[in-house]
Amino acid sequence: MILKIIGSVAILGASSILGHVYSQDCVKRPQELRVLQGLLQMFENEISFLSNLLTEAFEKICRSSDSEVANIFKQTVLNLKSQNINASQAWESAVKDVIKKTSLNKEDEEILISFGKMLGNSDLEGQIKNIRLTVNQLKMQEQKAEDNRKRNEKMYRSLGVLGGLAIVIILL
Amino acid sequence: MGVDLIFKIAAIGILVAVLNQVLIRSGREEQAMMTTLAGIVVVLMMVAKEIANLFDTVKTMFQF
Repeated sequence: MILKIIGSVAILGASSILGHVYSQDCVKRPQELRVLQGLLQMFENEISFLSNLLTEAFEKICRSSDSEVANIFKQTVLNLKSQNINASQAWESAVKDVIKKTSLNKEDEEILISFGKMLGNSDLEGQIKNIRLTVNQLKMQEQKAEDNRKRNEKMYRSLGVLGGLAIVIILL
Repeated sequence: MGVDLIFKIAAIGILVAVLNQVLIRSGREEQAMMTTLAGIVVVLMMVAKEIANLFDTVKTMFQF
């Protein structure tokens, strides 16, 4: 009897945590997209007003935020320094590395990678236009993510608890 | 055995109803439908043994 109770509590706890993790994912994605927009805007300022080098600008940007997405910039700098590749390749591999640890999805990854393709191969005007385009795309993604969050956050949480409860009752 | 089974089925019924509401609220009618169906199937599986039992009893009634 006691074993049964312990097992039921374990199943219930596990499924609740699973639901919570999923709902947290929903909450985190819009936040991360917002942070990313802010960081890109900062990057625009860095290169248009201060005319900093790419690595310096990136280092400054990643120091200014402790969010997970700021690691893309840090990783890009590390890639640029350690390997003999150009900026867009460094950015692409950094995005692919870091994106696994964030809540961003495939579409966001595509946008970021296409941002990287233009990185460092046009004049100042082109760069700034590219950054603005990316920020706009991210803003659209953020709206979508926000809609998603409103619909799914509560659902995932209650689905976790109720699903666990269902399993417990069926196995009982 | 009998009362236990009834309570179990009642609990599953309540759970499926709540799940249904949650899924419909978040605009997933298809999944709501699926959970309802899954609930029906699970309960049927539970009851199948009892129904077979009932038929056996009826059969023995008419075997002289």
